[in-house]
Amino acid sequence: MELQSQHFTRKAVAALADEAAAAQRDAMALFTPVVREAAVQQFGDFEALRQHVKRIRRHSLDNLDYYLARFELEATNNGNQVHYADSASELNSIVLDICQQHDARKVAKGKSMVTEETGLNDYLKRGGLEVIETDLGEYIIQQAGETPSHIVGPALHKSKEQVRELFLEKHALGERELESISDLVGEARSVLRDHFLQADIGIIGANALIAETGYSMLVTNEGNGDLCANLPRVLIICTTLDRILPRGEDATAVQRLLVRSATGQPQTCYTSFYSGPRRETELDGPLETHIVLLDNQRSDILASDYREMLQCIRCGACLNHCPIFTASGGHSYGWVYPGPMGSVLTPLLNSLEDTAALPNACTSCGRCAEVCPADIPLPDLLRDLRHQQSQENIGSPRWRMGLRLHAWVAARPGLYQFLTTRVMSILNKLGRRKGSFHKLPFASGWTDQRDFPSPQGESFMQQYKARRDDRE
Amino acid sequence: MSDSSAPRVSLFVTCLADLMRPSVAFASIRLLEQAGCIVDVPQRQTCCGQPSYNAGEYASASVLAKQFIEQFEDAQYVVAPSGSCAGMVCEHYPKLLDGEWRQRALALAQKTYELTSFLSDVVQLDKAPAVMTELPTITYHDSCAGLRELGIREQPRELLRKLCQVEVREMQQTEVCCGFGGTFCAKMPEISAKMTDDKLRNATATGAAMLAGGDLGCLLSIAGRARRQGIDIEVRHVAEILAGELYSPAIGEGE
Amino acid sequence: MSSESRSRIMARVRHASLGQNAAAIEAQLDDFGVAPAAELPHDDTCVAFMINVLRNQGSIDVAPQRVDVVKAVGQYIYRHYRSHRLVAGNDPHLAAMPWRDGGVLPRFGEIEPGEPVALSYAQWGVAETGATIFLSGRNNPARNNLLPEHHLVVLDVNQLLPDLESLWQQLEPAITGAERPRALFCIAGPSSTADIEAQLVCGAHGPRAWHVILTGEVRQEQLDTALDVLSSKKNPGGS
Repeated sequence: MELQSQHFTRKAVAALADEAAAAQRDAMALFTPVVREAAVQQFGDFEALRQHVKRIRRHSLDNLDYYLARFELEATNNGNQVHYADSASELNSIVLDICQQHDARKVAKGKSMVTEETGLNDYLKRGGLEVIETDLGEYIIQQAGETPSHIVGPALHKSKEQVRELFLEKHALGERELESISDLVGEARSVLRDHFLQADIGIIGANALIAETGYSMLVTNEGNGDLCANLPRVLIICTTLDRILPRGEDATAVQRLLVRSATGQPQTCYTSFYSGPRRETELDGPLETHIVLLDNQRSDILASDYREMLQCIRCGACLNHCPIFTASGGHSYGWVYPGPMGSVLTPLLNSLEDTAALPNACTSCGRCAEVCPADIPLPDLLRDLRHQQSQENIGSPRWRMGLRLHAWVAARPGLYQFLTTRVMSILNKLGRRKGSFHKLPFASGWTDQRDFPSPQGESFMQQYKARRDDRE
Repeated sequence: MSDSSAPRVSLFVTCLADLMRPSVAFASIRLLEQAGCIVDVPQRQTCCGQPSYNAGEYASASVLAKQFIEQFEDAQYVVAPSGSCAGMVCEHYPKLLDGEWRQRALALAQKTYELTSFLSDVVQLDKAPAVMTELPTITYHDSCAGLRELGIREQPRELLRKLCQVEVREMQQTEVCCGFGGTFCAKMPEISAKMTDDKLRNATATGAAMLAGGDLGCLLSIAGRARRQGIDIEVRHVAEILAGELYSPAIGEGE
Repeated sequence: MSSESRSRIMARVRHASLGQNAAAIEAQLDDFGVAPAAELPHDDTCVAFMINVLRNQGSIDVAPQRVDVVKAVGQYIYRHYRSHRLVAGNDPHLAAMPWRDGGVLPRFGEIEPGEPVALSYAQWGVAETGATIFLSGRNNPARNNLLPEHHLVVLDVNQLLPDLESLWQQLEPAITGAERPRALFCIAGPSSTADIEAQLVCGAHGPRAWHVILTGEVRQEQLDTALDVLSSKKNPGGS
């Protein structure tokens, strides 16, 4: 997917101006934390689960060489063909090759952020294939020619009226009303059913890969991924190295965290584990199965100080709890992964330079880290990215110099007090009567949107010294 | 007041209270003294380095962190009228510094407190230092760092109840950030303003005439936005209210 | 191309890993112990399972005897389709049901597009998640779980397990054997979506309804208890 993160601030301002969409995001921001909280409460000791899974995830990453080799062995013994893709483009070409070997014409896809990352759909289309996204949200944005705005609900930025317009325009099905959301779901169901039955190739992602047995876990509510995995004659699973876990019970422990954090459900409708192609005695299932393991910088992240980011389970809770995500909308982030997790991942998977705004789109409020089921210290990682920006001189030099000057002065208490006393006294004289400034030189960032309250008078240190001197 | 068993508190004034609103620091001293503490104010304190730290300027922040540790590490207690400044010392200094400095940071973190948590949890202040004038209805803004780094939530409410006999009228989404975020509010002013507007809408929806909080950064930003939008709400630091020092104009108000 | 990438990726991963031996890794893993499971909403595992099935938008029939199962299936399809036809997997448990007594005419095998009802025999049920578990195989065509409008599931309450960890214990022989089942399905509800305005709609692609028929040592009172628990949770002031 093409990177657009350079335009974060501009896009966010535009997104705020679209009042209906902004109101829809506000409503989501009120609703999603409540459902998550209820599910977490109902679980019991959620924190113990979170810490247990964190230990397992860390252990898996610490020993990824061992588990990766084990997974490859088991998956191969199960009859899969396992492929490795170093880069996005390599994944795309591996998948296209498989499709071409089977003279495939139609591909049915389950929701996969990894293939969004690689831009697989466009690549396959250029290769002459018809690619149908089958997750309802993904299908809607594919029809609309858009990108996902949320990693769990890719089309949550669209109102039902917009979806209605879209379906009436794109589906030549004659006269119908499509008044309700369930009418819209029904329409998509009838259109997609034929695609499932006709597709030559199914492509899905994986929520976990199990080293011990070579199974991959798929978690959905719609069951679309399972239709993709069971009906077409060839199945391709596209995923990344960091999904590997030791055992089946580790995968379901992750799933306990995932469902509650993502949608506030105690359980998703479908949790499936796939090991390979159709067995001899079976009536259905794919005849051939492939697993494509994408690296695309993950092994570099593994070796870096950002390793904890690989513990992310893609639940979207940090998005749902981030007021900046709510204000800006997912598209403003300009790539596949928005919100706090995206603001860490996008720079790491692309370049720090082209994504400079993202690590700054954070007030360090800590709400994301508080709800992160993987206990990733997202504000710390974002701050570390800002540190890296500063070291590589990325971002506004004016800000950087200003902060360095401030620190330089603050490290000299005598000078600091001399200067601040004078500045505050001038500001006080100018602003005391009205109480605040509408405009202030050197503070246009502040006074652009808010008044600058006037200082009360002399600095505390000055007054305190004077009072103490009086007493003595 | 020269009781030798009295807790000795070094006041971490915070740069915003020092420069923008000295009344907060004076109120803090009054409250601490009312609680029986002996208060001193280290004279060479400036800034704890939080702005540099949050901007990723770790080198500058370390210089200021070390300066702060040297100035304060001999104290029995360090108390700041700010959750984010106390959080900087308690949570972030140990992450920022290495080796021996990290050990010194950890030792300092052990005895550093935000004002209301110190008054409530350590010295259990239960009587106001002044006769209270009648207060308007109050809603409380929980600052993120205080709330999530230091777990401060009940303490200011309990103090308002005990010392001022007022019940906080809770706003919706009280745990959501007000959009200040240090330099964030000036780097991304439109997004920040939207967040502050949400906060102000939730605050005014309670019918409260006063918004109290424990962090001047948030309060300056909220008051500044309220002034800009013509929203009439009195914005004050909780220390001023608890100490009964409501004579000076509220934040952003003229004389 | 791919094998070069494999060695490059493996090398980088090896470099970033701790490089411990297998015994140390396995020992460390064992030390982590067992993950906490979700609290069950009732002390009786069967009632807890029922509560979670209902929470998952499922419906339940209590049918202790085989003849009750047949009756429940017959009533269900008659109520919805005024029909007596359905497709059932080749599971011997299903084949052995006295279908004629209920006037039901099952066709055993794979569902064809357009057939509205499928019946499956679940190997286990998990109370923690309110899920029914199926292993793919000759007796259990995967598409029977995925394509019908109504998915009917027969589950013997003897096969109820408290949590997911017990499920993995039960699965152990199957998944460590020479030929692992191609697929394990944990189904906990009808196919549903909340992708438009976060509003939940059942029947996204697969079954619009998921109906669990519990057989064996199960009583109607247990279902009544489950319903009571759910209604008291919905109106906490009412009880």
